[in-house]
Amino acid sequence: MLELVDLSKKFKQLYAVKNVNMFVERGEIIGLLGPNGAGKSTAISMISSLAEPTSGDVRFHNESILKKPGDFRNIVGVIPQEIALYTDLTADENLQFFGRMYRLKGSTLKNKINEILDLVGLTDRRKDVVKTFSGGMKRRLNIGVALLHDPELLIMDEPTVGIDPQSRNYILETVKRLNKERDMTVIYTSHYMEEVEFLCDRIYIMDHGNLIASGTNEEIKRILSSEKTISIKSDQLNEQFISLIQEHPLVNRVVTTDKEITLMVAKEVSMFVELTKFAEQAGIELTSVHNRTPTLEDVFLHLTGRALRD
Amino acid sequence: MIAIILAKFRMFIRNPWTFIIFTVMSLGFAFIIGGNGAVSTITVPITAEEGAIENINLKESLENEEAFRFNWLDEEEMRNQIENGKAEAGVILSDDSYQLIIGVESPNVSMIEQAVQRAYMKHNQKEAIVKAAEADTEDKRETLLQDFEATMESPVFEVETTRFTSEDAVIYDNTFQSLFGFTLFFVIYTIAYNLLPILVEKREGIWDRMILSPVKKWEVYVANLVYSFLEGYIQIVIIFCVFHYGLKLDFYGKFVEVLLLSVPYVFAIVALSILLTAIVKNVQQFNAVIPIIAVSMAMIGGAYWPLEIVESEILIALSKINPITYGMEILNGVVLYGYSFEELLYPISILVLMGVVMTGLGIHLMERRHV
Ligand SMILES: Nc1ncnc2c1ncn2[C@@H]1O[C@H](COP(=O)(O)OP(=O)(O)O)[C@@H](O)[C@H]1O
Ligand SMILES: [Mg+2]
Repeated sequence: MLELVDLSKKFKQLYAVKNVNMFVERGEIIGLLGPNGAGKSTAISMISSLAEPTSGDVRFHNESILKKPGDFRNIVGVIPQEIALYTDLTADENLQFFGRMYRLKGSTLKNKINEILDLVGLTDRRKDVVKTFSGGMKRRLNIGVALLHDPELLIMDEPTVGIDPQSRNYILETVKRLNKERDMTVIYTSHYMEEVEFLCDRIYIMDHGNLIASGTNEEIKRILSSEKTISIKSDQLNEQFISLIQEHPLVNRVVTTDKEITLMVAKEVSMFVELTKFAEQAGIELTSVHNRTPTLEDVFLHLTGRALRD
Repeated sequence: MIAIILAKFRMFIRNPWTFIIFTVMSLGFAFIIGGNGAVSTITVPITAEEGAIENINLKESLENEEAFRFNWLDEEEMRNQIENGKAEAGVILSDDSYQLIIGVESPNVSMIEQAVQRAYMKHNQKEAIVKAAEADTEDKRETLLQDFEATMESPVFEVETTRFTSEDAVIYDNTFQSLFGFTLFFVIYTIAYNLLPILVEKREGIWDRMILSPVKKWEVYVANLVYSFLEGYIQIVIIFCVFHYGLKLDFYGKFVEVLLLSVPYVFAIVALSILLTAIVKNVQQFNAVIPIIAVSMAMIGGAYWPLEIVESEILIALSKINPITYGMEILNGVVLYGYSFEELLYPISILVLMGVVMTGLGIHLMERRHV
């Protein structure tokens, strides 16, 4: 249905997106995963025909969307990363306004608005000015507005940033429903791997403008088939302990946070004895050491040497 | 497009404070600094020595003066008024001379004096005619004077006066100077702040939403420009109406013309604002730049003081590329100098030209930079 061919976008010297190839089949939910600055939004704005690629092409049913953006725009719904709403207007008025932009009128528009308010769970707040909404409610309305013209393809750019867990779950469920019940194809961008793991049929992982992995959840995790992840927890982590681990020849990658160290080693390696020895040397006590099943987070770590949420 | 304008008005009604503040500021400044058109309604106490008051001609002429209302009192009362500061100056008339009692030295005093002089001149003129015609009876005298008045009203030939700007005496009317000046100055803010949302909408993705919809891009631009134009224009109309209907300032009978001829100026300022919006990088920059631009334009363009008193060549050169200069020229021209349409055409065309060029440039830059 949609295909990105060697898509690149360059800002001055920097490639925000570089030679990205992707395809989207009808009815799929596609995840685009990557840390902040990976180039997701830039890719999204080219996919939605808002920005022109420096090179490469976006093809919809085998035709470049740059040729006839109008036709493509009619079937695509874009949910921008920002809250693209008039905050001085009510939920109702926002939907009316953008509905008019899509040439909807009268009872068609009215019914559509009711339906959308119901879908995003804002019917009882419809008469309230958007300013007064919580982050989650704004996000939900932000999605609702993009559904006014019944798009076939929904492009969502980090729709769950900065909201409470309930709203987040609500949104994830809504995306699933739209996909199942209305057969909407979805491109879902996020830097939360749980969301992408939960929602998506296939996943593309981006970093520094490059695609670094793609496939189904399982396929991607198979990248890690020769490695395993060890997670160490302690309240007393110190420099000495960390550097002992980092300098160990069998440790491939290390990521440290406040109270946790994640390291990757070859599958057959057991580090347990060494770790206890290091802890003794560094004079600290470990709360827990365990092998974890790999996550997309780990895949990203494996591929880039960095954590997804830097 | 209509939907965009309507939505903007709806938001305006919900949050009209910027508009109200700038309107009130224009009114306030024009009122305080320019006075409420007081020039046309100054009351001057006047008294007459025995006999002079009998002189109907003199009295009539004075009462025909538009700028002043002469209030007949006795000398005692008049002096009281002046001492208490209730009047700037008073006049004592006698048969063939007059005396001016001055309380406060103000520009009005010389104008009062001129008015009195005119009255005496007219009076003497009539007396001379009467004498020359040897109209000895009261009846004859009456008919003669009536004929004279009639002749004066439809002269045999008219002398046409042409004006050469450089030789022209400066007519400086404080009321209009500050009314026009502050109105044109503050409306810059109103207009500019109504285009600012373009920046915000672009940053927040609202603009992209509209671009993705079937609405044409030019419609979005036109809607923004029209809205901002309307708001600026409405502000000007409100201010002028308050002065015209509320404070009874008559604009020398050119009220409608003044309203119509504000259009090119508002258009040019809308264009200037869209250009600025395109040039600045973000809202903060915009907020920093607008006052600088508005104030310097107002100073250079003669909104605070008449351009005629400016001598610096650089400032005069700068004033030639400043919309306020032409806005002031149009408004002052139509009200104070009685410009003909041909004379107004020059500043009007410059403003329209500025408007077209800056709109084009602004939209072009905006398309290139922000996408
Ligand atoms: N308009 C722009 N001009 C210059 N650089 C940009 C622009 N938009 C994005 N970038 C840069 O491109 C990179 C990718 O940004 P973005 O696509 O927003 O990433 P993401 O959405 O994954 O967080 C970043 O380094 C960002 O600074
Ligand atoms: Mg982004």
